[in-house]
Amino acid sequence: MARMKFLCDADRCIECNACVTACKNEHDVPWGINRRRVVTINDGKPGERSVSMACMHCTDAPCAAVCPVDCFYTTADAVVLHSKDLCIGCGYCFYACPFGAPQYPRVGNFGSRGKMDKCTFCAAGPEGDSTEVEYAKYGANRLAEGKLPLCAEMCSTKSLLAGDGEIIAAIYKERVTQRGYGSGAWGWQTAYRETIDV
Amino acid sequence: MQENKQTAMNRRNFLRAFGGASTTAVAAAVTLTPGEAQAYDPGEEETKTRYRETEHVKAFYRVNGYETLKK
Repeated sequence: MARMKFLCDADRCIECNACVTACKNEHDVPWGINRRRVVTINDGKPGERSVSMACMHCTDAPCAAVCPVDCFYTTADAVVLHSKDLCIGCGYCFYACPFGAPQYPRVGNFGSRGKMDKCTFCAAGPEGDSTEVEYAKYGANRLAEGKLPLCAEMCSTKSLLAGDGEIIAAIYKERVTQRGYGSGAWGWQTAYRETIDV
Repeated sequence: MQENKQTAMNRRNFLRAFGGASTTAVAAAVTLTPGEAQAYDPGEEETKTRYRETEHVKAFYRVNGYETLKK
């Protein structure tokens, strides 16, 4: 069975933030919440790297392990989703998540944060597929429509990959094999001369 | 000043006398029923496979692997 995964090709990400914008637009994500964000390391310096990050839909999700009300569940596609009806906004999942994926609509402690919101791999939540109720709570259900997450589909540099883990891993593996990595990559010396050694 | 101190003492005595007694009474009245915690079970319909390798999805794979996946 296919396992849904995200994979960001950091060599290709140009920090355009189009994935972030597309996600917010597609799911009508409220102000203050970013289900996806682009993290840049060594910003402005030679050799900087950008990675688009969101919920990575862990196999043994730490958010689910710490949730006091057990509102998380994993679908047959290995997508980690949660029920906003059960969520009490305690914030434990935010502390547990190594990627900072869980987001809250308000600032505060415990219930005052509001219900947790995170990337759903465009698979929405437990309500009926593509219903208004589902959209209002979780956003669009593109997976049920036979599509993939919009952030990956519209990535202009084909940096962000999403879909069947085995297929996108094969795509990435071939890319790495062909272009090399770091200083062994094609064009590296042209771009950075010999001053950068990564 | 002395009057304020006296008032504070009275308040504390009141809490000790009545608050403590009532808490004990409530604790005794409530009987906890032991049982196993129940995890959220969304059901088969919610967890079923939604991913399908449609033409749309195949096009995504093809476009992303155009330079690598030789058909």
